[in-house]
Amino acid sequence: MGRLLLIYRLVVGDIKRRPVQSALLAVVIVITATTLTLGLGLRNVAQKPFAHTRAATRGPDIVIQGQPNRGARGTPARAFRPLAHATGVAAIGGPFPLAFARLTAPGIDVPVNAEGRTSTPTAVNQPLVTAGRWVRPGGVVIEQGLAGALGLHVGDRIRLRGRAFRVVGIALQTEQAFYPACTPGLVWVTPGDAGRLATPSDPLGYEVDVKLRHPSAARAFWSTAAANAFSKAASGSTISQSWEAIKSEDYRVVTIDQKALLIGSWLLALLAIASVAIVVGGRMTEQTRRVGLLKAVGATPRLVAVVLLAQNLLLALAGAAAGLLVGWLLVPSFSDPGRGLLGTPPSPTLTLVSMVEVICAAMVMAVAATLIPAARAARTSTIRALNDPARPPKRRPRLIAISSRLPVPLLLGLRLGSHRPRRTVLTTASLAIAVTMIVAAVTLQHEVDLKEQTSSQSGLFISSSIGGRVTHLVWTLGAVLVVLAGVNAIFTMWTTVIDGERPTALARVLGATPRQVSAGLTAAQLLPGLVAACIGIPAGLGLYELAGGHVATAKPPIMLLLAMVPCTLIAVAVLTYFPARAGARRSVADVLRSE
Amino acid sequence: MVPLGQVVQLEKIEPLQGYKLRIVQEVVLALLAKQASHGYQLQARLALALGPLGGALNAGHIYVTLGRLEKADLVRARRVDQAGRPDRKVYELTAAGRERVHEWLSDTSWPKPAPAEFHLKLVAAAAAGLADPVRLIDKQRGELLVGLREAQRAALAEPAGSVAGLLLEGVVLRLQADLRWLEECARYWNAAKG
Amino acid sequence: MTVESETSVLSAQGLCKEYGKGAALVRAVQAVTLEVERGELVAVVGPSGCGKSTLLHLLGGLERPTAGSVRLGGSALERMPEAQQARIRRRDLGFVFQAFHLVDELTALENVELPALLAGASPRGARARASELLAQVGLADRASHLPSALSGGQQQRVAIARALANEPLLVLADEPTGNLDSSATTELLRLFEQLHARGQTVVVVTHDERIAATADRLISMRDGAFVDETKLAGGTARPLSAMAGLEA
Repeated sequence: MGRLLLIYRLVVGDIKRRPVQSALLAVVIVITATTLTLGLGLRNVAQKPFAHTRAATRGPDIVIQGQPNRGARGTPARAFRPLAHATGVAAIGGPFPLAFARLTAPGIDVPVNAEGRTSTPTAVNQPLVTAGRWVRPGGVVIEQGLAGALGLHVGDRIRLRGRAFRVVGIALQTEQAFYPACTPGLVWVTPGDAGRLATPSDPLGYEVDVKLRHPSAARAFWSTAAANAFSKAASGSTISQSWEAIKSEDYRVVTIDQKALLIGSWLLALLAIASVAIVVGGRMTEQTRRVGLLKAVGATPRLVAVVLLAQNLLLALAGAAAGLLVGWLLVPSFSDPGRGLLGTPPSPTLTLVSMVEVICAAMVMAVAATLIPAARAARTSTIRALNDPARPPKRRPRLIAISSRLPVPLLLGLRLGSHRPRRTVLTTASLAIAVTMIVAAVTLQHEVDLKEQTSSQSGLFISSSIGGRVTHLVWTLGAVLVVLAGVNAIFTMWTTVIDGERPTALARVLGATPRQVSAGLTAAQLLPGLVAACIGIPAGLGLYELAGGHVATAKPPIMLLLAMVPCTLIAVAVLTYFPARAGARRSVADVLRSE
Repeated sequence: MVPLGQVVQLEKIEPLQGYKLRIVQEVVLALLAKQASHGYQLQARLALALGPLGGALNAGHIYVTLGRLEKADLVRARRVDQAGRPDRKVYELTAAGRERVHEWLSDTSWPKPAPAEFHLKLVAAAAAGLADPVRLIDKQRGELLVGLREAQRAALAEPAGSVAGLLLEGVVLRLQADLRWLEECARYWNAAKG
Repeated sequence: MTVESETSVLSAQGLCKEYGKGAALVRAVQAVTLEVERGELVAVVGPSGCGKSTLLHLLGGLERPTAGSVRLGGSALERMPEAQQARIRRRDLGFVFQAFHLVDELTALENVELPALLAGASPRGARARASELLAQVGLADRASHLPSALSGGQQQRVAIARALANEPLLVLADEPTGNLDSSATTELLRLFEQLHARGQTVVVVTHDERIAATADRLISMRDGAFVDETKLAGGTARPLSAMAGLEA
């Protein structure tokens, strides 16, 4: 009991003694846990959305659209009848009348195909209503991807070719890729309404949905005699599409998102590792000394390890809990209500498993943060830990020689920065990762903007919302990375200030002004910032290529990219200003006295 | 402690410019213990041992001392003919002299330590209200520090490994000890005052 | 003593320094007035905790006094912004500490040239001056040693060389022999005597009698205030032979 009380006291005491460092460690864990939560949450977003949706909507293997041959007699149904008896065909749906129209509403003007449907379910291609109800006269059902992209909801009023309709439902389908992967968009109306939408210049077309005995034979089917029979019934402007083609179009959208997310989460993972290394390394110095102190008063190495572990676990658990909460709140903003496949909307769910995974990851971080100092504690003798708490900085003769030729702030900065080369490398890496992501985001944004311009010139409302969604994702990831890199920069600055307390106090005794000292401390961070920007720009373009983009088509303006360098430097300077100022203002007498 | 009536008497008769003859006598005797020496040889040995402190000890002192020791039958002089040397006498120990050397070397008496008198002075001054003990201490400290300064300078001027430097080091350390004791006195009398 | 003379290098008037508030108020330095003449070596002695080190920090502008003023070479130090104080420190002051405070990863030579570099000297000039100073403190052969490879006495001599790098008006030394053994103290005493002989103005805070004895003037401090002042320069002592017990 007494031992528990002791451990509790030591843990709380240490957290209180260095609140900023403890808080920063917690922040890093929170951010890592948040991104992990996000990643896992989005991973849960339907793993086989197309297959699910296809099964649920009795999706066709082949979709044939066309106009009945003028020469053909009777109803369209009769004209398409031979198709049903063709070899390999299991069932057919339709023919359904198709009218081309413009869907208009305030702020909306998109071309759509209005498909005429009755209330009778069909054997092939029966859309799945996800909101509202099925078609009725004057009531239109909107394909889910289209509704999402246009922001339409059940009850909204729209016009088709000028006629007033009310949105009565929203439905999923696999007869064509969901909007915006496929344009024009798709809506359903009653056959009567569809007929009224046709004009002499835009006559009704028909769609037949074919279910094959062997769906894998869809491509081959079209070249068979049965297909030839069909083409006699329909006029020349026939369009047909196999389900594989529809699927690949759907997935074009999904994979772009997933690729962005995948690469983003890799970068996040790297950055999180760098952060933990920085934070743990920063606490190491004082913890080694603490370990020596504890051992001197008779604590066993195991007790020491327990104290460290308890302390880090406490921070990790708090961080994981907060991270889960933040991640859970953020996940919906990453998901897309407009996705036109089953399982993608509306919000990714956090399963118990993924929560356990997040907590485990945080624990692993805590254990990692404990192992190194604990191992060191076991290795170092008590006396050495007490007398020589900080690893003496390594001497770099060339750097010292070079810096003595530089102005005072750079001299101080270079020498302070070189004290802890590993930490400097980690900071550089974390900044470089953030810059990389931002460069990629800028490039993507530029490509999307370019496309939007050309598409608005051509008067078409095309797939910019794919770009929009990916851009949103990439920017959000970029923002998270920037925050994490920022926390790293502040933390590194803080530890540099603490490590550099004695040398900076000494420099002030020898006549360096506070401004020179704080400029020196900032310079110690700006140099990694400069390197990071120089690495990050090409790395960002490389990442863009890797993710399937083409820098050559995106044509990111060179000035914008070059502007990343001063932007990074300014950001680092701003972030590190306050710790640097605090470091340069501490009473010299206090620092030297505490020796 | 050792009854040396005869020697003390000699000192009384003829003080030698402040030098404690007793010490010089004993040292001269001891230096002769191994082999007979000329007076000037003895003087050179002493000058080396005393360094800057031996400045006032000239050859005359040695001869006067040797004369007395001879009278007291502790040494005897032999005449040796030596061309070009003013000093023809070689001194050697008598049996009594040899005994005296042994007595001296085995004597462990130590010079009288300083504190008692000054301590009583402070107590008396405080009791009588004649003077502030703290002022007395400060004055004394100044005096001792000036001495320390001199001794230290002399010590610093000695070349490394000089035997006389060791003597000066002794002076410095004793003064330091006295100064530390004065510091303790100051602490006590300050507290007593307040 | 309150009149500022023309040869005065340092002048402190009514210096006070208080820490804490209410019941926890500590008066570290109380109404201290001090004039230091050019070329003078002044020692401030007293028991530990009497406020000596705080006084030295006040004199060097490392801490701001609660009341009173410090003038160094004619400029009022206590009212200056820190940047200006730093410039004064750089030009007119040299510090020597008990804990040496050398930069661990710099060699002896690099430590000594540091103040000159901070003051904007050319690297070549700074190096030349540093070599000269190291030779003066007898460490020319240790120029490329790191502090960890030097003895305590050698480290302190490097620190003194560093304090002299910009030819300061005044050297402030805080218990310079506090961490040294007897023979290292002797080395340092020799150096102090040399400095003094060259006319360097020094204020040293110490409780080492041997360092105190090198001073021209000795100031005793107790409970944050000056209680006594003794002039050692020109004082006459008993003859050395008497102190050694050779005379009656």
